Amino acid sequence: MSDVTPDLELDLKGLLCPMPMVRVSQNITNVPVGGVIRAVATDAGSMADIPAWAKSTGNEVMSAEKVGGEFVFFVKRIK
Amino acid sequence: MEKQTIDSMVGVLDARMNRQLKQYMDICARCAICKDACHQYVATQDMKYLPARRAELLRQIYRRYFTKAGQFLPALYEAREPDENLMDELYESTYACTGCRRCTYYCPFSIDTGWITSVSKGVLIAAGRGNEMLGQLADAALFKADNMDVFDEIIVNGFKDVVRELEEELGRPVAIPVDKQGADILYVALAGSHSIKPAAVIFDAAGASWTLSKFEAANYGFFFGDPAKAKLIADRFMNEAKRLGVKEVVITECGHAYRVAEMFYEAWAKEKMPFKVRHILEVIDEYIKDGRITVDPKGIAEKVTYHDPCQIGRNGGIYEQPRDIMHAIAPDFVDMTPNRETQWCCGGGGGIVAMEEFNDVRLKSGGKKVEQIKATGAKLLACPCENCRLQIEELSKVHDLGLRIVPVMELVAEALR
Amino acid sequence: MDWFSYLTSGIGVYVALVVFTGGMAWRAWQWSRTPKSPVRLALYPKPKTGPGRFGKLLVDTFAAPQSFKIAPAIMVAALLFHLAALAAFVGHLRLVHEFTPLVAVLGVDGMNTFAAWSGGAAGIIMLVAVLYWLGRRTFGAYKNLSVPEDYLLLALLLGIVLMGDHLRFVGGLHAATYQAWFASLMAFRPAFPAELTSSVTRYALDWHMLFVDAFLIYFPFSKLTHAIGAFATNAVRTGE
Repeated sequence: MSDVTPDLELDLKGLLCPMPMVRVSQNITNVPVGGVIRAVATDAGSMADIPAWAKSTGNEVMSAEKVGGEFVFFVKRIK
Repeated sequence: MEKQTIDSMVGVLDARMNRQLKQYMDICARCAICKDACHQYVATQDMKYLPARRAELLRQIYRRYFTKAGQFLPALYEAREPDENLMDELYESTYACTGCRRCTYYCPFSIDTGWITSVSKGVLIAAGRGNEMLGQLADAALFKADNMDVFDEIIVNGFKDVVRELEEELGRPVAIPVDKQGADILYVALAGSHSIKPAAVIFDAAGASWTLSKFEAANYGFFFGDPAKAKLIADRFMNEAKRLGVKEVVITECGHAYRVAEMFYEAWAKEKMPFKVRHILEVIDEYIKDGRITVDPKGIAEKVTYHDPCQIGRNGGIYEQPRDIMHAIAPDFVDMTPNRETQWCCGGGGGIVAMEEFNDVRLKSGGKKVEQIKATGAKLLACPCENCRLQIEELSKVHDLGLRIVPVMELVAEALR
Repeated sequence: MDWFSYLTSGIGVYVALVVFTGGMAWRAWQWSRTPKSPVRLALYPKPKTGPGRFGKLLVDTFAAPQSFKIAPAIMVAALLFHLAALAAFVGHLRLVHEFTPLVAVLGVDGMNTFAAWSGGAAGIIMLVAVLYWLGRRTFGAYKNLSVPEDYLLLALLLGIVLMGDHLRFVGGLHAATYQAWFASLMAFRPAFPAELTSSVTRYALDWHMLFVDAFLIYFPFSKLTHAIGAFATNAVRTGE
């Protein structure tokens, strides 16, 4: 995903579930349709939560990776 | 408003109508004794946060569609056809309510504003005015449950990470059983590892037969105000408990999840569950008293205080177990004033921490809690509810309290011998 | 009786009693046929035993100790008003039948003096409480909470109490006169005795009764159904 330039970076480190998902949802309208949020969380629950949120709201998780002790998400606004 | 929308709102009110609600609608004297009970009204003096006013907004619709008197003489009762103005006020007044029921405690008729606002939420949802964020959180939880083939592996891998972290921290392995058929306890945690680790350590020390639920206890369907969704979300771990044949479901340190599981679920499911439901603090208290775990009576040397989450205390009846636990591990435990059934709501309940639009009233309404905590002089706060912890952490930052806020079980794990 | 007296102190009394009784029964029936909330809505702590819960229900309903703690002024007014209203109601039973045992103890003059003092005190307490409520509702910070129903009820109460106090303090007629009128009501041949028809006090009685009739007729359709509803809602608080 290093070739994608995110429109917004979100630092969600230290936030406990479901707050990472809440922050992504609150910020999704701050990027244009087709825009991308890069979010970094430390709560393991976000690995399931953020993809589930994206699917149920019709957005797209382009990638969700564990890097060291962090979870890095690229979320694309679809609508 | 369109007739169709009004019809569906009235339909929801009709479906949710029961004897209690009808009586709450009929008998409120509007004496406003509740005004000084509500942390939001006390902090803002804003009418829409007055408990009786929150109820009055729904009452205006009730009077108009459910009483002959309101139909004949609408002006006398301020019976009203819902319009955008009413819906705006109803929305703000309803979704801001943390459901703490402190007003119910002080009301001479025990009118349950929390119950009324839960019905108001249903009416708002029917009008397409349900809170979007809470709706999304509820849907995400259900989406996970419906697509367990996709999420099962992610979740179980997450648990394996927790086991690895625990081993690094403790220098010894602590098992986290999942899907263990015939375990005594199904422990339902939150999505984050903070709610799993201390419980795992304590269950391990007690030699308990337990298994960890793959589903989180949090129930955003309940906060959203849709009992059908709330039931579906709770179904996930209740069905898991049935499938595994456990003797009891133990809910983590989370307020609303305990109330949903213990007070509401059987009524929603219309069946008696073949297991009992307990809060983790009831279990830990029993472990300490029965000698199944040994704790250091000076384990927590620092001065520590305890916050009664409304859903566990006033609405759940768990007052003494957490205090007995604190006395067993912390020689310098101090209670806040007031406490137990008269304690102030921290301002973070009802899902309000997830709704950015209420940030202002939420932080203002924490003023009483801040005063209470300051008065104890403690810098360590034990709190068995995730929403309260989120709120008090933010209050601590805003008011520069320098608090360390932890689940009770984390302190117990620290004090284990 | 002229037509106005007949309307307020004759036929009106029957109509009011029928509407009040029927209306309250209808309201109770309406409540009873609506299914109970399936979920548990109790507040904690609550007594563990049935008798304990019943005791708490009675204390909560009649004394509301929690409400006193948070709002002493309004609760003192409320308690005094309700007690005074009860005393006034009991006092009015004298019109149905003289309290013979009391008369035996106090004597006829003593009884009249006692009634003058107790009835007078009840009348003044009710007047003060109603004025206090009216002021609180009209000038309180949360006055926007009030709806016309609240003012209508207070206006009716004010009318009842003012006219009642007038009969007590200014009217100058004794119990025997009203007993005669009450006896005629109970015999379904409402009529005023000569002392009433020849006295201007009868206008005060007519207005007193007009307000009483309206109050009783409106009662079942108002928030005053808390008179029976509060037992049910307070029972939920201590319920299982």
